[in-house]
Amino acid sequence: MLAGAAYLYRSAGHFAYAPRPGELGPDVWPRAILALLMVVCASRLFGHLFGIAAEGAAADASVDDSAGADAPRRFPRLLVAGIVLTILYVLSMGTLGFFVATTLYLALFMLVGRYRRPVVIVVTSLVGSLVFVYVFMKIVYVSLPLGAGPFQQLSVAVLAAMGVR
Amino acid sequence: MDGVAHQLALGFLELLSPANAASLAVGLVVGMLVAVLPGLTLVMGVVLALPFTYGMGVTPAIVLLTAMYLSGTYGGAFTSILFRIPGEPLDVPLLWDGYPMARKGKPAQALGWTLVAALWGGIITAVSAVVLAVPFAKFALRFDAPEYFAVVAFGLSGVVALGGASMSKALVSLCIGLLLATVGVDDTYGAERFTFGVPILKDGVEYLTVMVGAYGLGEVLARMEQGFASPPMEGSGRIATRLPRWAEIWRLRATVARSSLVGLLCGIVPGAGATVGSFIAYGTEAQYGKKRDKLGTGIPEGILAPQVASTATVGGHMVPLLALGIPGSGATAVILGAFLLHGVQPGPQIFQTEARMVYTIFASMFASVVGMCLLGYFAIRPLVRVLALPEAVTSAFVALFCFVGAYSARNSTTDLWMIVIFGVVGYLFERHRFPVAPMVLGCILGPVAETSFMTSMIAYQNDWTVFFRRPISGVVMVLTILALAFPAFRALRQRARAKERVGTDAPSA
Repeated sequence: MLAGAAYLYRSAGHFAYAPRPGELGPDVWPRAILALLMVVCASRLFGHLFGIAAEGAAADASVDDSAGADAPRRFPRLLVAGIVLTILYVLSMGTLGFFVATTLYLALFMLVGRYRRPVVIVVTSLVGSLVFVYVFMKIVYVSLPLGAGPFQQLSVAVLAAMGVR
Repeated sequence: MDGVAHQLALGFLELLSPANAASLAVGLVVGMLVAVLPGLTLVMGVVLALPFTYGMGVTPAIVLLTAMYLSGTYGGAFTSILFRIPGEPLDVPLLWDGYPMARKGKPAQALGWTLVAALWGGIITAVSAVVLAVPFAKFALRFDAPEYFAVVAFGLSGVVALGGASMSKALVSLCIGLLLATVGVDDTYGAERFTFGVPILKDGVEYLTVMVGAYGLGEVLARMEQGFASPPMEGSGRIATRLPRWAEIWRLRATVARSSLVGLLCGIVPGAGATVGSFIAYGTEAQYGKKRDKLGTGIPEGILAPQVASTATVGGHMVPLLALGIPGSGATAVILGAFLLHGVQPGPQIFQTEARMVYTIFASMFASVVGMCLLGYFAIRPLVRVLALPEAVTSAFVALFCFVGAYSARNSTTDLWMIVIFGVVGYLFERHRFPVAPMVLGCILGPVAETSFMTSMIAYQNDWTVFFRRPISGVVMVLTILALAFPAFRALRQRARAKERVGTDAPSA
């Protein structure tokens, strides 16, 4: 983070603008923030290197913690699967359209999340997608992606069946 | 005062309009549901409701979010007391006496005390918002650019210092938020900043995507990594509430008074929100309460103190939000976002230009308090049944809400990618215990801070001492420095105490 801040600090010096006499440039504010960020990072780094606790240990254990519960078990593969699935959802929305992409995303998300009741998965993902399409296109007036080719035709048919024009 | 009463009466009339009344009802129910579900935080719930407000008028939109905010401070009490699962971090102190009381076979009484506490805290919060907001706004009319900069700096420093996390991590989070706010074309010179030739970055980073991604998707990813391990709750169909008698409540008036004061102060001070308020109120009771020795064994004082304080913080937060446009918590940052999305800038002038809207919001706070208590008393049984839903199912829908919410703002696929990016950032923050709130507040308040700083520099010939020389800004800047110095002072004192302890233990070892 320190290196990144230093790089951004340097690039802030290359903003293209027409200077006005006696006035601060557009680089001053971001550079002030970056300077603060670098100071904080450096002090933390210094603290770690020389074994000085920057703050009380109690501060890290924030009040947000649930009464000192044990550290939870972690499943990194699930996390990676979740992120990949989410990226695929965004990637596919333009082609598959909101309705199809969302139905698949909801169903796969529940499966990846280790939920194993196929009927519930199919029904909730299908009904959920339909409700979202109806609420956002009919009530909130948001134009959700329809997709391309046959998926577009499917989306249009679903919308027509729901009375959304 | 007559003027205020008259405006408030008009606000109540306005609240009766179908749009406002429906928003209030929906906000109360959804706020309570969000608070009941351990996987959803109150702030996340308010964020996810934001897209539904795009098509609404500004008043119903703010009424909806404020009702969610208020009822959210109450709903989590049910799972804390009955199942020992805090729906919100602010409900953790409720575990300490609420759960033992329920275990003694008095769950209905414990819920009754919670209801009384939420009602009292809510009334206090609504009254104080009405009484304090106008003087606050009149005072704020004297503000010039240096004062605004000082107030924003104080707001941000409060969030950093009192947010509950490590100060350096909070500062890093704040700096990231402030930096994100600088991306895009700058207002003064039209210079492109940190766009790196990417066209979509010219429009800047939408704070909405930062909020929704970091709070919503980030939390979902964090829970996914833990395998959605929260088991569905059973036995939620036996819930009932039994109210205490008036004499019993009167006996605890000192606890109620102390906790109300703590809650209000924690609300007004930026950063010290409902969670901090509820912990401090419990701690105050542990120090000054008549039955302090029995705290933790299931006594009403241990339920009243945190619940009164957490609900009382809401009004405290609403005052600086409306009068200065400065949010002091994650939830009020989202409410400020809703104001801005509807083209309304909160600040002292809002009491003149949008008085009807402001007093309708105040009226909705009174109505919300009554509504959430009625809901808690009569309808909590079906609401708590939501706990039977598997976490994987609710999380899938939360993730979907995040995407649809972000997409709805500008109909742009770029915002969906922003959600993914900030979702991962939010997860990394959660994983490495960096607080998200400073980043979100930095992102929202960054432009205000920069504009007031640059305006001050132009008006006072780049003399930075102006922030300390003018009386109001000087006082606020000193408070800012004190707020930032407080955690360092606390850390030094803790270290000194630890050394003392080591010194006294050493001879005996």
